[in-house]
Amino acid sequence: MLARIAHELFWLGRNITRAEHTARMLDGVFQADLQARPSGPTGVAFGWRSILATMGVDPGTAPVRRDDVLRRLTLDRDEPASIVSCVERSREQARTVRDVISAEMWESLNTTHLRLRDGDMEGRLATSPYAVLRDVRERCALFWGLMQRTMLRDEARSFLVAGGRIESADMVLRMLRVALPGDEVSSSDGQALALLQAVGGFQAFRRAVPAPANARPVMRFLVYEAAYPDSVAASIAGAQVQLEVADHAPRSSEPVLRLSRLGADLELRARSTEGDDLAAVCAGVQAELAAVDRDIAERYFAGAAPLGVVSTV
Amino acid sequence: MVEPFAVREPNVYRPSRGGFDEVFALGGIPREHAQALVAELARLGPAQLAEAGRLRDAIFVQQGITFDATGEDGPVRDRPFPLDLVPRILPADEWASIERGLEQRIRALNHFVDDVYHGREVVRAGVVPWRLVVSRSHFARAVHGVRPPGGVYCHVAGCDLVRDADGSWKVLEDNVRTPSGISYVLENRVAMTRLVPRLFQHYRPRPVDHYPQLLLAALRAVAPGADEEATVVVWTPGPHNSAYFEHAFLARQMGVELVEATDLVVRDDVLYMRTTAGLRRVHAVYRRLDDDFADPLEFRPDSLLGVPGLVRAYRAGTVAVANAFGTGVADDKAIYHYVPAMIRFYLGEEPILDNVETYLMSDRAAREHALSRMDELVFKPTGESGGKGVFIGPQTEPDVLAGLADVVRAQPDRWIAQEVVQLSTVPTAGPDGRIAPRHVDLRPFAVFGEGITIVPGGLTRVAMVEGSMVVNSSRGGGSKDTWVLEPGDRPGPRPADELPPPVVPLPGLRQGSDWTGQQQQQQQGRG
Repeated sequence: MLARIAHELFWLGRNITRAEHTARMLDGVFQADLQARPSGPTGVAFGWRSILATMGVDPGTAPVRRDDVLRRLTLDRDEPASIVSCVERSREQARTVRDVISAEMWESLNTTHLRLRDGDMEGRLATSPYAVLRDVRERCALFWGLMQRTMLRDEARSFLVAGGRIESADMVLRMLRVALPGDEVSSSDGQALALLQAVGGFQAFRRAVPAPANARPVMRFLVYEAAYPDSVAASIAGAQVQLEVADHAPRSSEPVLRLSRLGADLELRARSTEGDDLAAVCAGVQAELAAVDRDIAERYFAGAAPLGVVSTV
Repeated sequence: MVEPFAVREPNVYRPSRGGFDEVFALGGIPREHAQALVAELARLGPAQLAEAGRLRDAIFVQQGITFDATGEDGPVRDRPFPLDLVPRILPADEWASIERGLEQRIRALNHFVDDVYHGREVVRAGVVPWRLVVSRSHFARAVHGVRPPGGVYCHVAGCDLVRDADGSWKVLEDNVRTPSGISYVLENRVAMTRLVPRLFQHYRPRPVDHYPQLLLAALRAVAPGADEEATVVVWTPGPHNSAYFEHAFLARQMGVELVEATDLVVRDDVLYMRTTAGLRRVHAVYRRLDDDFADPLEFRPDSLLGVPGLVRAYRAGTVAVANAFGTGVADDKAIYHYVPAMIRFYLGEEPILDNVETYLMSDRAAREHALSRMDELVFKPTGESGGKGVFIGPQTEPDVLAGLADVVRAQPDRWIAQEVVQLSTVPTAGPDGRIAPRHVDLRPFAVFGEGITIVPGGLTRVAMVEGSMVVNSSRGGGSKDTWVLEPGDRPGPRPADELPPPVVPLPGLRQGSDWTGQQQQQQQGRG
């Protein structure tokens, strides 16, 4: 397939997933914040300042207020990390790959974009952030659901899904690193619980893990649990499978090999029950993912000439 | 017998004076082929039509079937492409003559392009002046002496037709570069079945949805090196082009890649596209941008949209390009004047479809005649399309016309003048659902592969403002689904509609009227 199209699809998958995860995170943090008591056992899950840092946004020096962060990361069109910006980017990407994805996928994404552009969104966000963020989550889920039903299982789909899986792993790692300051002992159980709620994994955790929802089991669940679709390990395995399908020679593919090494490493660590430094593991995985990103760009997208530049014969 | 529309509705329909109305004959009586339509519209009424119109806008915006237009307040982005809910109906015999006329015309134009770049017989016979041909901006020296596979230049054509005051069809212009609008023809038909299904009750319009397959077959037919599966691509200038929707639509419908210039590269006179697995050869390109931008080495050197070396690959015969380079010379409004003569010259036939009366400004006598009647004629620049730069004499201020006269005298080769055609009208629904006459034209689409096929109907463009003759979608015009009836098709209920629908039991349902005692016994007998 066209290198440019593969690139657009990969980033379309990433942008949609980023929008969904940002909505989940904001919703989880908002709920935890409302219920927080300064002296209570759950505490404030993440500070709003660290939320901005998680999303790569400079929080500045002025005091950070909840409503500002919510608005900035949801509806601010000048903020590249905001949900509305992610959706807008993915819509533009979908526009250029309209002939590759199904019409229903494009329509659902276009509708999501139009809804977010609607005039009363600021008001809705102020009165009921839950309704707005739930809407975003559901619209993103609808996109993936329509993909399952209507898109051909070909390499185009593989790049789309691979982008989504890599973004998913990256977002969970970002959140974990904010919740896990250098020494993980200090991270409270409340933080872990809020994180679990934010990624939508509370019920899955309850069913999969007999332990109480304390910090350490929750963190391990989010990193290692292969049966939980949004764990870092599951996302990495998913991305690897997709690239194997898309690649014409997967055995000599650097991104496939790197993902496979990373997956095996996580599996090994998952079996050892004691004493691993989760913060260090997360940092290591994030660095590896960045390398995977570079490998992918080099192997699949390098053929795509940079936009606006005409190549010579 | 259907009563006159005016009797049933307080909304009195008044066809414009002196024009031809395609639905209502004199006295407000519907023409025979339209009687069932009129009855159904009366039954629907303005409220339901207006409601269907709102649904249409919502669906089109959601699906992104939109158009960038220039409104009174400047550019309007993402405007839903306006589809009028009243279809235009063409009886079979009328269409048969249009079809023959277009095929004849396209055949002659194709001969002409070939002739221009080869023998120039038409020039030597004194039918078309050579000076006129070489001065056209779309004349391409770069492809002189090159003959594309099968000798086909105009793979895709979309000629604009209008009906005069007496109802006769005339050709207004020929579009053989990159005519757009076919995607709206296909989308309109689907939208109509969803929005106003009742209107289909009495008609079986001939299908239009085979166009992408026709186009793909035509492109495959001319692709060189056909011993392997030919790779066909649609080449778009990019998402910012106003017809991008159509480019993506066609690529999707044909199941081929939609490429931009940066996806293409020429190596050793062979065209390739850049894929995730390296370079892959391309055999045929359906390009949706003009010659000027296609190859900076041969045409405009400042084009960032082009692929360097493409024309060399084309000359080497390793890739087919549709429409062929240089075809634009037949798309020129001054050349248009000579098409009836070309038909006589190349085919030895009389033209079935006439031109609109046209005056070449390069001809001194015609120019003086036209300039003395500026307020009665339409003035058009020869090399433009999409209604750009057109002056309609009766609607233009005298001082503007005086200035225009100087421009025309300075560059007479660049202008033609035409008699104003009193376009025909078709009933059209306003935003409130009320029906009123609006002016229309018609752009049928032809595909020239092994033979010429014309899609039944085409894009009817409609001026949405009363009295206006401006139908271009880029200037606020709308469109109509265009129904061509089958030969011998008499409007009336379909036979199938009279039969009761068959009852098909749903598996797994234990209740309901179709679960008969007999079936129960059979089930029990098996158990």
